[in-house]
Amino acid sequence: MILLQSHSRYLLQILTNRLQNIEKGVELDCHWVEFDDVRYHIQASIKSPNLLHLSVSLPTPPPETDFSSGLPLGAIEAIKAAYAGVVHILDPPRDGFNLTVKLNLAKLPPLEGLELILVVDLTVRIQYSIHGFTSFDFILFWNHPISAFASMIFQLSWIIPEYRESLACLAESTELNKFLGSQLFPTHPNLTFFWKLLSSSDNMTLSLLDGAEIRHALVVKIASVREVVMGAPLRVILKRVASRSVPSNAGVLVPLVHRPNESFFLVPQVEKATVVFPMRFNDSVDTVLATSFLQEFVEARRTAGLNNAPTCLWSASPPDELKDAPEQALHANAGFVSFVIYPRHVEGKKLDKTVWSLSTFHAYVNYHVKCSEGFMHTRMRRRVESLIQALDRAKPDEHANISKSYKRLSIEESRGNSHS
Amino acid sequence: MDPSTSRPAVVIDNGTGYTKMGFAGNVEPCFIAPTVVAVNESFITQPNRSSNKGSSSWMAQHNAGVMADLDFFIGEEAVSKSRTSSTYNLTYPIKHGQVDNWDAMERFWQQCIFNYLRCDPEDHYFLLTESPLTPPESREYTGEIMFETFNVPGLYIAVQPVLALAAGYTTSKCEMTGVVVDVGDGATHVVPVAEGYVIGSSIKSIPISGKDVTLFIQQLMRERGEHVPPEDSFEVARKVKETYCYTCADIVKEYNKHDKEPSKYIKQWRGIKPKTGAPYACDVGYERFLGPEIFFNPEIYNKEFTTPLPAVIDKCIQSAPIDTRRALYKNIVLSGGSTMFKDFQRRLQRDTKKIVDARSHPVEVNVVSHPIQRYAVWFGGSVLASTPEFFTACHTKAEYEEYGASICRTNPVFKGMY
Ligand SMILES: Nc1ncnc2c1ncn2[C@@H]1O[C@H](COP(=O)(O)OP(=O)(O)OP(=O)(O)O)[C@@H](O)[C@H]1O
Ligand SMILES: [Mg+2]
Repeated sequence: MILLQSHSRYLLQILTNRLQNIEKGVELDCHWVEFDDVRYHIQASIKSPNLLHLSVSLPTPPPETDFSSGLPLGAIEAIKAAYAGVVHILDPPRDGFNLTVKLNLAKLPPLEGLELILVVDLTVRIQYSIHGFTSFDFILFWNHPISAFASMIFQLSWIIPEYRESLACLAESTELNKFLGSQLFPTHPNLTFFWKLLSSSDNMTLSLLDGAEIRHALVVKIASVREVVMGAPLRVILKRVASRSVPSNAGVLVPLVHRPNESFFLVPQVEKATVVFPMRFNDSVDTVLATSFLQEFVEARRTAGLNNAPTCLWSASPPDELKDAPEQALHANAGFVSFVIYPRHVEGKKLDKTVWSLSTFHAYVNYHVKCSEGFMHTRMRRRVESLIQALDRAKPDEHANISKSYKRLSIEESRGNSHS
Repeated sequence: MDPSTSRPAVVIDNGTGYTKMGFAGNVEPCFIAPTVVAVNESFITQPNRSSNKGSSSWMAQHNAGVMADLDFFIGEEAVSKSRTSSTYNLTYPIKHGQVDNWDAMERFWQQCIFNYLRCDPEDHYFLLTESPLTPPESREYTGEIMFETFNVPGLYIAVQPVLALAAGYTTSKCEMTGVVVDVGDGATHVVPVAEGYVIGSSIKSIPISGKDVTLFIQQLMRERGEHVPPEDSFEVARKVKETYCYTCADIVKEYNKHDKEPSKYIKQWRGIKPKTGAPYACDVGYERFLGPEIFFNPEIYNKEFTTPLPAVIDKCIQSAPIDTRRALYKNIVLSGGSTMFKDFQRRLQRDTKKIVDARSHPVEVNVVSHPIQRYAVWFGGSVLASTPEFFTACHTKAEYEEYGASICRTNPVFKGMY
């Protein structure tokens, strides 16, 4: 593993197990904690096996961040958009948590039959925020895919007029093309228009998936609730970068929480955004390793194959971007790392990945620091072993078999010893 | 106050066969993963003699090491990687309950923490377990890895059977005296515990455990000529064992039952050949009861070791201090995956009682079975690590830094264990 996955492995396991054994519907009550102090609690009862209560608590925000109503900016909209229909937000959340949602597994798409999935890349034109539709990543259609699909497209284009122009689609399957072309469109009065949109393909992907795949994708998305909630404010800003629109808050420093009482900073600009991470470590060895890791990291960015990666800088002192930052944010024992994000880094499907990588950058560095320490231990153990071997070789023979730190005495051995 | 004491402790029970890991306060571990690491050997087995050829080859070697450091898998992923690709080799870090390969162990923990539990080890106290025969040096190694690689704020290394005892008594009064019969994958120990302390001199180990049951079943099926693909036969034997085996009351009668009504007793195992993908089926017959029988009649499997498990338990208790024996007979607690066979508890109870009754005066014998037996050790750890006393019983990083790894040699029995 080099990069962390965005879903919680345990949550995914719980959900998949639950779905597989829904008729057993056992009592469930677990809590666990992930890196950066994100805590989870999940509960379900025998009475209603399809309902799960999932609560998430986020790291304590530092004073400078915008954390109204206990959640990062835009989190509620992000949840609604990602899980519409399956997830219901409960207010107030469970005691000690920032968010509690009720998950209804019965609302997941059924396993049988082929379904249509439409992946819409809405990053191109996002100036609107209506009913959370602006931030969805995919829309799922189930039950009667074709007709639902048609009406959905129809509704969508009414809600957000811009889509009429930017909606475009790539029908990946020729089968589907035929099907849509021959069966559906002629029978629907308004569809000729959409058909045109669909065939002038560009940013939308239309593909056929079976129910199990869709269901799995949605379950993984639920297990990634942390990414959806904590990444929400970052996603909003980066989406603006992707759409190359001029941000209203250009040049204004935006603090975003990523660890307990710590934030990283974002400066939205025209067609780009600069992200600055103050890097802090508790342990002195970690600090040294992290500092050199980060310098290597910046160096590695310059190598040939990585020309398209975000520009990346490291400095021991706070960079200019942080001139308006609060005092406590300016101390970082492992220096400051900044990335410059351009539209090409956040286009289409890349957005999710970039949001996740940035929100977990500290965890990423921490993991590699621990790997290096493990690696050094391995080397040190080898060295000690070879020294011990050398010493053993130098000893006279009779001592050789005492070199083990402990052993069980068998009858023969104890006899043998008493003779010698 | 140290904020990490407000978070649940991480509890990891590393077994020879399976590692049980999760957070204190839960009823179940988050993950039960095979204790195995798949390392990409192509990095490591590069020509070694290049070491004196100057800096460039040193760099190459160094980089190879760094890559190998990241390119490995654990658990089920490791098993499937080694199946599909010949560049990955499996290493089992624990043998017979003892850590055998510390490099592999360190990597295994690394993945458990960062990839499975996904927690930051600096945020949590850790409870790890060890077999009752672990030498103190091994505890020092564990401490070194936990404190120096992972920077854990606190560490407690518990003895597995003690935790298994703690597991049985969360609802009723906490009774920390009893004999734990821990039958895992690679080791079987009979361990008397009095008031939370292991009576070290009376521990008995026997060379028969879960893996032997699997091997025996594999052998029986092979000898009968069942058509199981050889590369799969161990796994099939294990699954057959876990699904169909049971403990019988009397081996001769059981043979008769099977012969009279084969249709009732013979089961079918269906699988898919890993190479060709073709389905196959085979019969499961006598091995259903012969497998677990090796604990009660070991001579059918191993010519060198012939003492049945009930006799070992009796010997163990007889060698314990006389004033503890009555309490020990009264509380014989089962733990470990290989005690899960149907009616295992009943047979053990009956046979042990028989031995005890043969010695004149009546003594109460009680073999205790409980639903979480399969991971009793982990569960006991989960319970103990959620008591406030746990955090004070741990060795902290500050103590480690002041006194060194030797403090890990001893781990105090603490309140909450009573
Ligand atoms: N339902 C079952 N019936 C019989 N055997 C089982 C069952 N479930 C698991 N096992 C066996 O139990 C063993 C694993 O038990 P456990 O997890 O207690 O061992 P471990 O802790 O890995 O090993 P050890 O304690 O010896 O180091 C395996 O051999 C497995 O095949
Ligand atoms: Mg065990």
